[in-house]
Amino acid sequence: MARTTRIRDDFDVEVSRSALGYNLPQRLGRALWLPMLAMALMAFPAGAILGAVRANAIATGGSEKAIAALGQFTPAVNFLGFAAVFAAVSFAIARILGTFRVGGGQVQEAAGAEVHTLRMPNTGKVFIAVMGMAMMTLLGAVVLHAIIGASIAGDSAYALANAPQWSFWLEGARRIGIALYLLAIAFGLATIVTVLRYQAVRIRELPQGAASRPEAGRLPS
Amino acid sequence: MASADALLLRPAPGADHRTKSRLRELGLGTAFVGVVVAMVALVATVVAGAWSDQPGRAVDVARLDAWSFGLNTAAFGVVKLSIGIVLLAILRRLWLRVESVRETLPALKGGSSEPAPIRPGTIDTPYGSATVSADVPKPLLIHRMARAMWAPSLAMGFMAVAGGLVLSIVQASKVASDPGLAADLSAWVKGIQFLGEGFLLAGVSFLLGSILYSLRTGGGEVQRSAGVAVHTLKFPTTAKAFVALMMVGLMVEVFQFVVYLATTSFEPASAASYFAWLGPVREAGLGLILSGIVLALVTIGNVLGFQFSRITEIVRTGR
Repeated sequence: MARTTRIRDDFDVEVSRSALGYNLPQRLGRALWLPMLAMALMAFPAGAILGAVRANAIATGGSEKAIAALGQFTPAVNFLGFAAVFAAVSFAIARILGTFRVGGGQVQEAAGAEVHTLRMPNTGKVFIAVMGMAMMTLLGAVVLHAIIGASIAGDSAYALANAPQWSFWLEGARRIGIALYLLAIAFGLATIVTVLRYQAVRIRELPQGAASRPEAGRLPS
Repeated sequence: MASADALLLRPAPGADHRTKSRLRELGLGTAFVGVVVAMVALVATVVAGAWSDQPGRAVDVARLDAWSFGLNTAAFGVVKLSIGIVLLAILRRLWLRVESVRETLPALKGGSSEPAPIRPGTIDTPYGSATVSADVPKPLLIHRMARAMWAPSLAMGFMAVAGGLVLSIVQASKVASDPGLAADLSAWVKGIQFLGEGFLLAGVSFLLGSILYSLRTGGGEVQRSAGVAVHTLKFPTTAKAFVALMMVGLMVEVFQFVVYLATTSFEPASAASYFAWLGPVREAGLGLILSGIVLALVTIGNVLGFQFSRITEIVRTGR
């Protein structure tokens, strides 16, 4: 439990007796960065292998159907890799923010001062929202590539005839998904800048912590 | 290097730790510009898709495809550059935070006021092995490289991406009048722009390496000024893997650039089969560098956790 009344003009903080724990995005970040990285490290070589198989089919006069289907599966796998690696980057940033939140609180607690923990800045909220949009855009494109590829492999003449058109549109979706992911990462890093500024200010207040120390029973722990 | 540190990476002593970061605002503004440019390229791609099944539109579609590829990759370059600018803001903020901790820690130090003897050696911590010394640790080779290379990498990367954009516009103008030249330019655009993207991500990686340097050196300075033993985390495995992935990824990008250039001398049918595998390979190269960036961020998180734990220990025990 923490007091949420606004007590400072410069930063919006939560006040508590002891260090706060990780929030939900930070817990997710700590749990998911490694599985996402592992998925990315599997997807990129798989995409390169599919690309090589398709190149061989083109060079040896393979069937149009196989070449077109692989032309959908290859970007599907590669961009699954990009979705995973950008998610891993985002989770690693959330993990760093969690370290600042918990570690900063522990230092204040050790100093005997009341613990002021920065509430999630707006850039942090934008980071999460844009990351979600980017992930959905990329995964949507990956799923559609897989569906079109499977339809071509399943002898759909419609899918084969319209594959070039869908490839343009899905390429556009993939590109904007990547741009949004990069934007989200910029916002996540900007949040770290805000946290660093706050911590540089807060630690200088700690020696006067006795003056701001809560009266007994005033603050929830 | 000293001048770069003074001007960009390390603020002058006495710099105001309360002021908002202009670099942060510049970085976010640049990122928005990049995304807007990417949206323009998205509209072009949507139009190209709509025209692709209309008879007589093949040249228009090829033109749109040519410049929208160049524009979109340039947009990625702009947003990656913006990430580099925000990382610079983090570097400056880290040094300001070091100053704050250094000035405050002596007043917070608990326990006995008698200085404890320093026994150099190695200790195990929850964050990995750490060295104990009386002085600030010297920068490692990768730290020196990172501080020297981040700016050239970002500059080369951005120039390559921008150069590719110009070539893509020339390519679009030659689609009807000189299809052979347009095909050669297509290979140049893809090769040079992805080489540029690789350099931009390498620049971002070097900035992350510079952050690790500032954490190592700044952490040491704080402990030394507090008169306690300097505990420094040893070079972690994640950092070693970060360097390896970045180097391999960059080599893949150089490789794809060379092969793309080679395809300009191939027959069209042969070049088409090369393009089929070069696309996934160039993307895998970027994926490897990005994977390295993930490990660099994880290393930064671990080092920060170690440093918070060490500061808490100093505040509680005074040693």
